[in-house]
Formats: sequence, structure tokens, C-alpha cells
Amino acid sequence: MGLNDKAPPQIVGASPGLLGEGTPAFFTSKLDFLVNWARRNSLWPNPLGTACCGIEMMAAFASDYDLARFGMERMSFSPRQADVLVCAGRVTYKFAPVLRRIWDQMTQPKWCISMGACASTGGVFDVYSMVQGIDTIIPVDVYIPGCPPRPEALIYALMMVQEKIKQESLDQHAILRAEDPAAVAKPRADEEEIGDLSGPFGNSTEQNRVSGLERTDVISRPGDRLP
Amino acid sequence: MADERSGFDAVVEGPKPSYQGELSPVQVQSPGEVHESVEALRDLFGEAVLRHDVVANGQHIVFVPPERNLEILTWLRDDPEQQYDLLRDVTAVDYGGGQPLQVVYQLFSFFHKNALCVKCELPLDDLEIESVVSLWKAANWLEREVYDLFGITFKNHPDLRRILMPPDYAEGHPLRKDFPLRGRFSRAEQTRRALSQDLDHYYFDAEIERGGEPQELPPVAKTGEEAPE
Repeated sequence: MGLNDKAPPQIVGASPGLLGEGTPAFFTSKLDFLVNWARRNSLWPNPLGTACCGIEMMAAFASDYDLARFGMERMSFSPRQADVLVCAGRVTYKFAPVLRRIWDQMTQPKWCISMGACASTGGVFDVYSMVQGIDTIIPVDVYIPGCPPRPEALIYALMMVQEKIKQESLDQHAILRAEDPAAVAKPRADEEEIGDLSGPFGNSTEQNRVSGLERTDVISRPGDRLP
Repeated sequence: MADERSGFDAVVEGPKPSYQGELSPVQVQSPGEVHESVEALRDLFGEAVLRHDVVANGQHIVFVPPERNLEILTWLRDDPEQQYDLLRDVTAVDYGGGQPLQVVYQLFSFFHKNALCVKCELPLDDLEIESVVSLWKAANWLEREVYDLFGITFKNHPDLRRILMPPDYAEGHPLRKDFPLRGRFSRAEQTRRALSQDLDHYYFDAEIERGGEPQELPPVAKTGEEAPE
């Protein structure tokens, strides 16, 4: 009974062929297709839930939405074994070097999903302590809008990563996967690009939307600037 | 609707000045209420009780001079009639407009089921006050937080350094009213400084090296070898 009752495949003698009698016993494919197929169906996500987006991410990994359908049943809590970094939630400047180090520790090939408004742009936290989009620190493949995005949105983003993997080719590997050791722990975006992020309300160093640095007679205390 | 305001109106009108009044903007309710501890403080310390406010739901606030905070808080903790053995919180308030900063001690007595809020006003040019870690160990991290975010120095604190902001944070103390919302440096400079932080300052080795090199197993002693004595 069961599976073992089936006759074992004929290996010695006349081969029946893959699709029946008289068909070839092999098939041809591209190596790219095989490699990409294997990669996109065994993506191991490194969950980096720092805020409420993390809750939606947990829901996406739980049984209702069941990301295991897409080959992601193993959450990789070590960056060494992870393929895709899911940055879910806001990132502070204090946490920025940690995020950068996690990304540097991941092995190639690797992808990154920026989940939610805060991770993608800073969101409502346009303040002194918050990174205005993690793409100033690490390269991002897919951005998810929402505050927080629903699990369906995360699943859609992971499927977009899969689509992206589908289009990769091994001969582009040197270009797509090139890593510059000098770029480790440096801002990814250049200064102008980061400066533009603090719009549309003007330069952060000159404006204070709460009490107004110029218009109140606050006492200037140069000692505040610690060396 | 003519009086309907949109979010952009505030942007067009520009920033508003901070509160400029004489006293801190606390709504004092029922000023006639008495608090046993405040009366006892008045009897014993007299002039040291600068002000007594009763605010929302009968919370009693007593203002004392900052140079006598340790003396008064020690008495509040040790006197058998008071016994404020729990320090719920140490924090500070900046009402802006050049007003003095207020250091707030939230006290509670388990024995008498009494709560009291003690405040000390510090002028902006002399932000120093005695630490109360010698009275309540709980004050250690709370005073570090007040130092980090308001720049108030606590004398005789065992370990006064930043706790929330990075240790090399150079933009000042963020919860002060004269601190710009987005910090003093440009975004690019903030990002550059953030990424040049030395993680070893505030993370354990084990936390950083979670994905590090695989560790080698300790050598296994061969069977038959004699163990060294």
C-alpha cells in the first residue's frame, strides 16, 4: 500500500523516457533558469522587525498567510545564512551602524526589502534621531508602502523579489553582485541626495517647527555642542 | 467653512513662540488642599518650601530650592512619618522661553500610601544638582536619561554618561526647547556620524558577533592519555 507499491523506475535496459515510451530520457535547460529557480524558491528571510511593521511581518510568516508556500519556511536569524533582509520598522541613527553591519555580514547573493513608510522614508519621524530611509545606508530592492503594510503587501514584495531573481543571469553576476570593500559602513547615498530627504520643509539645521529657533529669545548656549 | 484649518496653515504661519509667562503653565486646582508631608516640610524646613501646587486629581507638587534637594529628600525618605521609600521617576521639564528647567522627583510611600511630587527649578546658566543615587538606586539610569536629554549635571553620580543617544553625540541635548526638531547637523552629516560610530562602545561582543566567524571547538583530550595532575 501507499507510495512503495509503485514499481521502481526502469533504469537498466530500454528506458521508457520522461514522458512515456519513445520520448527522451533527459531534458535541456539553461543553467540560469536552474540557478534562479533554486534561489527564488528557497529565499531565507532575515526578519529585522524594529516596530509595528514587525507585527505584520510575523503575521505574514504565521499560518494564516503562510510564507512557507514560497519556500521561506526558515527564518534566518543569523545574517550569515540569510538571503533577503526584511527591514520592518523605523531605524534610528544609533541603530544605523548595526543595520549596516548586518547587511555586510550577509553573503551574496542578497536582497533587501524596506517594509513600511518609516523604513522607506522616515515616515512621520522627521526628527533628529531617525534615519530618513534605509536606502541611505544599504541598497534596497523593493519598497513596501503602508503604515504598516498588510501581510499581503509583504507577500507581494517577496514575489517581486522572486521576479527580480528570475531576470538575473550568471554572466551579470560580477556586475550585480559586486561588492566594494571600501564602501563598507559608509553612507550609500551621496551627501546631496541625503540632504534632499529633509524636504519639503527646508533645511533641518535652520528650522524648528516646534518652537522656532529664530523667533524666540532662547538663551544661546554654545556649551551644548559637546566635542 | 471659513474657520477650518488645514495642516499647511501652521506651516504658512511659521513657528510660534514658546510660553513666556511668569510661572510654569500648570493649572492649579483646589489650592486649599493640604498634604501632611508638605505641612511637615513647612514646619521643619520653613523657607525651603517655595511653592505648593495641587494639580489634576489631587497630585501635590512641592517646589524646593535645588541646593537643598538631597537634604529634603533624605528626610522625606527616612522620617518615620513620611517614609517615601519608592522613587517612581526622575525627570525634567523645559517650558521654553528662557524659564528655568524643572527637575521632577515622583515619590511614593508604600507604608503610608502617599504620593508626593518634588520639583527643583534650575536656572539655565547653572544646570547642576545633587544626585540622589545614594538614596534610591533607581535614580541611576533616570538621572543619566535626564543628563542625556536635558544636559543637567548630577553631582556625585557614580556613572554619569549618555544612555539613550550615542555616546559621541555632538548636537546637544534633544529634549530642550531650543533644540531644533531635526537636530543641528545636516542629514548627510548625521548619517555619516552614525555610520562611523564604534559599536563596541555600547554593545556586548556576543551581540555584535552573532553572525561572526564560526568558533573552534576546544581540543578533545585523547583517550588513554593521562590527565595532567
